[in-house]
Amino acid sequence: MATLLTAEQVMESPRAPREIEVPASTVWPFVLAFGFTLLFAGLVTTMSVSALGAVLAVAGCIGWFREVFPHEHEEVVPIVPEDIRITTERRTVERLPVAAYQLRAWLPVHTYPISAGVKGGLAGAVAMAVLACAYGVLKAGSIWYPINLLAAAVYAESLKLGPAQLYSFHADSFEIALVLHLIVSALVGLLYGAMLPMFARRPIVLGGLIAPALWSGLIYTILGVVNPLLASHIDWAWFIASQVAFGIVAGIVVARQSRMITQENLPFAMRAGIEAPGMIPPRENGEDGQ
Amino acid sequence: MSSNAITVPGVQIDEKPWVDTLHEWVTTVDHKRLGVLYILYALLFLVIAGVEALIIRIQLMFPHNHFVSPEVFNRLFTLHGTTMVFFMGMPILFGFANYLVPLMIGARDMAFPRLNAFSFWLSALGGFLLYFSLVGANGLYGAGNAPDVGWWAYAPLTARAFSPGHSTDYWTLALLVSGFGSIGTAINIIATILCMRCPGMKLNRMPLLAWLNLVMAGMVLIAVSPLTAAQAMLLIDRYLGGHFFDTQAGGSAVLWMHFFWIFGHPEVYILIIPCFAFMSEIIPVFSRKPIFGYPVMVAATLCIGFVSMSVWAHHMFSVGMNSYANSFFTITTMAVGVPTGIKIFNWLGTMWGGRIQFKVPMLFCIAFLFQFLIAGLTGVMLGSAAFASQLTLSYFVVAHFHYTLVGGVVFAVFAAICYWYPKITGRMLNETLGKLHFWLFLIGFHLTFDLMHFPGLLGMPRRIYTYEPGRGWNTLNLLISIGGFIQAIAILLFVANLIISYFKGAKAGNDPWDAWTLEWATSSPPPAYNFASIPVVASRRPLWDLKHPEDPDSRYE
Repeated sequence: MATLLTAEQVMESPRAPREIEVPASTVWPFVLAFGFTLLFAGLVTTMSVSALGAVLAVAGCIGWFREVFPHEHEEVVPIVPEDIRITTERRTVERLPVAAYQLRAWLPVHTYPISAGVKGGLAGAVAMAVLACAYGVLKAGSIWYPINLLAAAVYAESLKLGPAQLYSFHADSFEIALVLHLIVSALVGLLYGAMLPMFARRPIVLGGLIAPALWSGLIYTILGVVNPLLASHIDWAWFIASQVAFGIVAGIVVARQSRMITQENLPFAMRAGIEAPGMIPPRENGEDGQ
Repeated sequence: MSSNAITVPGVQIDEKPWVDTLHEWVTTVDHKRLGVLYILYALLFLVIAGVEALIIRIQLMFPHNHFVSPEVFNRLFTLHGTTMVFFMGMPILFGFANYLVPLMIGARDMAFPRLNAFSFWLSALGGFLLYFSLVGANGLYGAGNAPDVGWWAYAPLTARAFSPGHSTDYWTLALLVSGFGSIGTAINIIATILCMRCPGMKLNRMPLLAWLNLVMAGMVLIAVSPLTAAQAMLLIDRYLGGHFFDTQAGGSAVLWMHFFWIFGHPEVYILIIPCFAFMSEIIPVFSRKPIFGYPVMVAATLCIGFVSMSVWAHHMFSVGMNSYANSFFTITTMAVGVPTGIKIFNWLGTMWGGRIQFKVPMLFCIAFLFQFLIAGLTGVMLGSAAFASQLTLSYFVVAHFHYTLVGGVVFAVFAAICYWYPKITGRMLNETLGKLHFWLFLIGFHLTFDLMHFPGLLGMPRRIYTYEPGRGWNTLNLLISIGGFIQAIAILLFVANLIISYFKGAKAGNDPWDAWTLEWATSSPPPAYNFASIPVVASRRPLWDLKHPEDPDSRYE
């Protein structure tokens, strides 16, 4: 619980000081700043301005040093009695309904561990890759075509590949596409892990249909403007299918993981699993902080 | 309202001679007074830069207009850009950091009060040095009387051959001097937040404003240093025969661009992160809910601070970097949108289900959310190398960054001023005038900057002095300029509100908004020592704990 004494309470306390020391006003920082500025201004006016600036700067330094050495100059300010009221007229607090024994809870009450999101993301990555490669083999005639396209999203050298080269293997494009695919998939999986508990009724609908539809719509809208060359190579039906595949698989994998209680309010030491006496200070009411 | 007016029985205030008052303000090391000085100084430069913008808009109002000469036009957009970024944006945010951080963390002052004063005066004198060029650089060697190289001052425009006289030097020296001030302030903010927090205020209990200013100050240290180094190199080029940026002697103009933008883009985040801080403090209070996702907000800010250091060359897509660099900077630019999106999501999450009070500060916050989202989306568009290649150097870019800096920073600053004005002055701002200011400024802003995207898409280049009729730009430019004047009227109303309310506003009391952070636990304006006793906190909302002892946050954190 916070504590704050008003000036009146301080005055009532027999041991409390009646005055407070604060740093004394001083002109030397201003003198030094003015001298410093003139020192530079002399470069564009005359040397005499710089000379005046140097004198002021030296005076400012000496004055400032004398201000803090051997003892910092302070001035005494009397405590002024004042009427501070820390109250509220809004006594009614509206609460979300949570467990009867709790006044408050961190929402969502249960969530997925980080590992669930990563697993879901990687599983979705496999599903998406299978569909994309199937598209490459069945429609484009080369498994490397979608891989080169993916790399071209961030790697301009891939975009420069000629029509024939887009269908052949390129180590740099492959490496970039692989890393990009895994990282983005894991991150999106994490996002699913974080968001699915908040949409508890139909998580698969969110992950498998709504999110891919929104994402595909966004990409379709902006890619034509941002990168028309890349957009012209994309088969949007297969693109949406692979997004949906990712979403459904990632959603199912995440949803199948066991949930845990939200730990946002727990200290880092507890979340890290450190067990040591005195690590968690007891609450004011005597509870042990668990 | 949670409290009544402050009464100080038996205290009689004597009128002081104005010379004494002036002396007190010039010699002050009190963080609150320095904060106010920063804010007033920045507001002065806001008005100056606003007048420059209006002259620019009059010039562009009609085709073939000659309201000012091309030379004056160049000087105007140089001064406008430089002033708004260095002498309005940064100082006003430093001002709020100075004023609020010690109060919010329960400290009596900044860690280094004298350095604080020194930093302020350096920043202020840097601004005056820039404008002294109007007098000081007059006619030397037949050169212009103010810098005219743009706020980015690309090489070789700054070479002696193309910029004789001293106008460019004034620009360089002004930024150099104010840059030292910025670094001093950043050191002070970091030291204050890390070392001066009151008992119980662990890092995870700090107000988000303190967290975000900590990140901002760290970024200032990293970003301003390259700019300062570049200014020194430019001085060496111009005075000592150096060739850092002299392409005809083996130097590199692109080197300047890298130096400038490695400062310039983090600078955007240096300006916007404190605005995020304002949002994070104001939105919960007027939504009557705690901030949604405090740890994620902190993490997102750190992430923005980190990633924004690696996006600078998206300003340089058109200079001919190789495809690897283009790809890298496209990806990092897209990536920085993720934590920013998280923040917007969390502010909306805070408002969701809240009992929103549409007071003036909250109105500005809501407008900020919408406008910053649009600015972010056009930013993502321009972050794509392919898109930027088409629209770079067009008015689309001008519209984008004004959406960020006016729709974002200026709206957030108005929100902050309206929110903390009662704390700083002890008086409430007039709500009616405030709402009139908000709506007029909102209409003017959208008339100007929404429409400004279209001339850009139609091919209107930025920095253009005048244009041919019949290109489809005429009506748009006329409306854009009219919007600028509406904004100017709104700002006049705002200034009038500040002045009128200072003398005739209702007494504020210590906590007029029923808020939860420590600055509202002391009188308005606060005494020199801030708190009669150093507070002890046990949660992120210490005043909530005091107001609701039956169910304090400290029980759950």
